[in-house]
Amino acid sequence: MSKDMKFLVVDDYSTMRRIIKNLLHDLGYANVTEADDGNTALPLLQNGSFDFLITDWNMPGMAGLDLLKAVRATEKLKKLPVLMLTAEAKREQIVEAAQAGVSGYVIKPFTAQTLKEKIDKILESRAVPA
Amino acid sequence: MPESNAAHVLMSAEREPDLLAQLASLTSNLATALDRFRNDSRLIALADKEVPDARQRLSHVLTLTDQAAHRTLDLVEQSGPPAERTAKEAASLAEPWERFRSGKISVAEYLDLIKRIDHFLVTARTDSETVRTNLAEVLLAQDYQDLTGQIIRGVMKLVSEVEVVLVDLSRLAGREEGLEAQAGTNSQRGHGPAVPGVDEGAGVVAGQTDIDALLSDLGI
Repeated sequence: MSKDMKFLVVDDYSTMRRIIKNLLHDLGYANVTEADDGNTALPLLQNGSFDFLITDWNMPGMAGLDLLKAVRATEKLKKLPVLMLTAEAKREQIVEAAQAGVSGYVIKPFTAQTLKEKIDKILESRAVPA
Repeated sequence: MPESNAAHVLMSAEREPDLLAQLASLTSNLATALDRFRNDSRLIALADKEVPDARQRLSHVLTLTDQAAHRTLDLVEQSGPPAERTAKEAASLAEPWERFRSGKISVAEYLDLIKRIDHFLVTARTDSETVRTNLAEVLLAQDYQDLTGQIIRGVMKLVSEVEVVLVDLSRLAGREEGLEAQAGTNSQRGHGPAVPGVDEGAGVVAGQTDIDALLSDLGI
């Protein structure tokens, strides 16, 4: 995976999308597309060639967990790295996300360092075949 | 005293406690009815005017915070390129400057270095001024906190008032206090952020370290 990777950032708040986009730019990832919920994200994912998905959980329309499930149920997308970046803090939810196949989970509010660490960790684990 | 009158007095004396009890009950009912009426009219005022007002006020809070966040992000994004330009140009001047200091520079390179430093002094000054102005604007963009704080405090006061009226009504209706509210949230759609003092305790993670440990246990 290189710095040319295509990211899709899904969050209903445009300010949060801008923050994540700026942080990704600082990390050297310049190719970032935005979507405001699962319903707008899914067609983009199905028709595009994204390398990484960062999604919020609590969104109007299709929530992040449903988007994750839809991604894992789609042949083309089932191995796509998915990082959940959310304020949802209940243990049962984190377990649910893990069972649905999430690759990483970052709780809001978060730091640039945490985001970097989690992205790096996911990419490292992808680079080494299981 | 005639006999019939004496019997009447005796009968009245026997019925007096009964009457008093009825009177007490009537008074209590009247007080309850008045309380209910007072609560009902307050509830109507709350439902008709103050709750819709509060909704509008909170919507204004959303607008103000959204505007402030975007304004701040605009300014931060605008400050990146001039700051980066200054750092980059300063770094690129370091090497020829070092050669000049150690006397290992040709005349042509020296003339070029002078030209570049002249240019750098002008652009660095302009770029730093841009960043400084943007930082002052970022500072000003935080004034939303004062306005939204006042609005939110007003809405909190209203919520307390609604709570009092509802508790009173519930008591008048003969309901036991402490009935548990039905949870209206749904794990699938999300609960929103955990709020200190409300969502603490069982079932809520303490932070990223907690999540990392949990995910590690789950093999992620």
